[in-house]
Amino acid sequence: MNAAIDPLEISALVRIMDELDYYQLLNVGPKASTTDIRKAYHASSRSFHPDANRTLNEDLRGHCGNISKRITEAYCVLRDSRRRSAYDSKRAQGDSLRIQIAEAKTAHVEQRKAEARGATPQGRQFHAKAESDLKAGNLAGAIQNLQMALTFEAGNLGFKALVAELRERKKASS
Amino acid sequence: MAEIAVGIDLGTSNSCVSIMQDGEVKVLDNAFGERTSASVVHFHEDGSVEVGNSAKAKVIHAPAQTVRSAKRLIGRYHFSEEVKKAQAVYAYEIVEAPNHGVRIEIREEEFSLPEISAMVLREMKQIAERHIGNKVTKAVITVPAYFNDNQRQATKDAGRIAGLDVLRILNEPTAAALAYGFGMGLNQRVAVYDLGGGTFDISVLEIGKDIFEVLATCGDTFLGGDDFDDRIIDLLADDFVGKYKINPRNDPYAYEKLKLAAENAKKALSIDEETFVVIDEVMKTEEGETLGLERTITRSEFSQLTHDLVMRTFKVCDEALQQSDLTVRDLDGVILVGGPTRLPMIREAVTHYFQQEPRVDVDPDEVVSMGAAIHAASLVGEAPDSMLLDVTPLDLRIGVAGGLAEPVIERNTPVPIEQTRTFTTFQDHQESVQIRVYQGDHRQADENAMLGQFEFSGFNKGLRSNVKIDVTFEIDADGIVNVTASDQATGQQASTQITLSSGLAEEQMERIIEQDVAGRVATAAKAEAAAQKQIAPITISGDVPGATAAKVTVVEDSPFGDGKTDLSGGCDDETELGDVSEAELDLIDDDELIQLTQEADMDIGADGITLDMPADQAPDDDDDELFDTSGGDLAGPEIQLTNEEK
Repeated sequence: MNAAIDPLEISALVRIMDELDYYQLLNVGPKASTTDIRKAYHASSRSFHPDANRTLNEDLRGHCGNISKRITEAYCVLRDSRRRSAYDSKRAQGDSLRIQIAEAKTAHVEQRKAEARGATPQGRQFHAKAESDLKAGNLAGAIQNLQMALTFEAGNLGFKALVAELRERKKASS
Repeated sequence: MAEIAVGIDLGTSNSCVSIMQDGEVKVLDNAFGERTSASVVHFHEDGSVEVGNSAKAKVIHAPAQTVRSAKRLIGRYHFSEEVKKAQAVYAYEIVEAPNHGVRIEIREEEFSLPEISAMVLREMKQIAERHIGNKVTKAVITVPAYFNDNQRQATKDAGRIAGLDVLRILNEPTAAALAYGFGMGLNQRVAVYDLGGGTFDISVLEIGKDIFEVLATCGDTFLGGDDFDDRIIDLLADDFVGKYKINPRNDPYAYEKLKLAAENAKKALSIDEETFVVIDEVMKTEEGETLGLERTITRSEFSQLTHDLVMRTFKVCDEALQQSDLTVRDLDGVILVGGPTRLPMIREAVTHYFQQEPRVDVDPDEVVSMGAAIHAASLVGEAPDSMLLDVTPLDLRIGVAGGLAEPVIERNTPVPIEQTRTFTTFQDHQESVQIRVYQGDHRQADENAMLGQFEFSGFNKGLRSNVKIDVTFEIDADGIVNVTASDQATGQQASTQITLSSGLAEEQMERIIEQDVAGRVATAAKAEAAAQKQIAPITISGDVPGATAAKVTVVEDSPFGDGKTDLSGGCDDETELGDVSEAELDLIDDDELIQLTQEADMDIGADGITLDMPADQAPDDDDDELFDTSGGDLAGPEIQLTNEEK
């Protein structure tokens, strides 16, 4: 098939593969869209998928297989927005260039849960107050407390969504 | 010119072979001019074997010596539902082999399922050789997308036994999509609705010129055209019981007659609004009185009888669309695959569900083998490039304490893929760990297909948490699974690599193949001789196996026709597993495995794996105590392998 790829390039890539992050591996920028990522996955598969390398010798085919598997991994993580954000934060912390696909999923859930409770002590405190207001049926109090929480965590999407929802409920009931 | 590689659709009911020649795909007909051949093997009294449509005709007279629907049994355990069901309806003898494998016993000879399928493959190979006038040794063989690792490996083995170098095990819907879109420069999203004789698959693909990317595939290996036949059989049998107070289902000859009548009625209803079933003699009474059956079946009656089956397929379609993040409106085309999709009621239901007319320009019985031929040609460099990017249909799981199985690679993950999990021992100075691998969608381990288990004991002993064991799960482009365990601390590559899949042991494969060369397999003896008289003889170079007596192949100690997959794992004396390994093998009892894990933990200290992850990540709240919530390093959830002795 179309294994027009230089054997030297294959050997070089397999050597440095562990030092590349998923973006570098797929040869896309960190802001790449899902469409770009898919295109890059297709292009890389064209070179490294086992079906594309039947004419190479066994060693090179083995290398291609390893590259192909890593490319699939990169694609699996980056094509999914939740996994991608988990990967991005892990990468930003300099922890690792790889992430388990299953881990990326749970990490994202964790992130969301933590965010919903609040990321700062004050945010968490006011969020907790809002929750007890809600339990007591005090919609107005809950909204007020969430607004306070938002002054400490202006970017907290969980807080914002909750405030919006409570306002709707308040509007509906009045 | 390079050697021609063929594409073979090895179906439950029928098989079909195609080649690509001079840039064109050709479906090859058999010696009788038929473009599909029944996947049926008949064993003659003299030991010779007949395969194909003429073999199918023998079912009525010799049901116990005629094997059909072998694909329903390949790669399955003897205790599985499917095997039980087959035992109830098929007249041929299905026996248990060691380690819960399945053998078919005919005229006091035992055959593994790969051997039976190899006979069908050999027939398809010969059809191709007759056309090409040369030996055929390379093939792409298709399997239902939903086939698990055991089934794929067994099919690959069948190919080898038939003397074929299997270039790729290809998913049927993917093959169909390739036949549909090859060389057309399409940019489309399509669904492939594949209702075969025994299985249902739905795949959603994105085609971008020469790239065919599977977005999701879902299926049901318990649903196919046979089930539609069964509904008609029941209708006829109930009628018969009402009339004569005798149950024809208990008589294999009577049953085969009803089955044949049902199949014909189903086909007739694809064309006509109603069909009249007449069976002069279903069976005879003890007094020699002939009992017959006559009945009209209308299309609407049939459609009512099978409505639930059709609805079941759409449930699976819902799932596939959801998994690929699409709705029916996003689809540019719907491709039909499989004989049953000829039924007008199916076409209507499909049109309704997908809100568009399905494509009918490719024959649903031939499209899969055509796609396989295109891919085969492309793999040997005889066709323009096309990339098939497929997915794994099932979650790949590892067994953990409490009889549960945690996913490591989720279904619909693209392949080839590799994921490594780090394990640590649960006890100080632990010597070995047990690793069990499953495929399926269930949290309960024993509701999934078990691919195998093995013990890993080559690591340096040490304090728990100091020992790090990497377990690597790999799924290759054929969808076949490999699991490797290695010791991280020593960095030794002396890992234990075990192909968990249920292929034949190399040694046994060689023996079977050798016997094959000696002339053991398996052609449609008389039929072929007769056919070759009618048709101008074509010289075929090389050794063409002739009609010869089948020999017994002794196969021992393994589930699927092999001695390789020893499910007991390598339990040696040191770990004192003794009784456990035997009990572990007993997968039949649903409670057994769970009980066993507990028992092992308490008494013998064999296995049990603890997943180390935060409690609220544990899939079910009430199972939290199973998970060690300590630690959890950022590199990923660490899994603890226990080997505790209490």
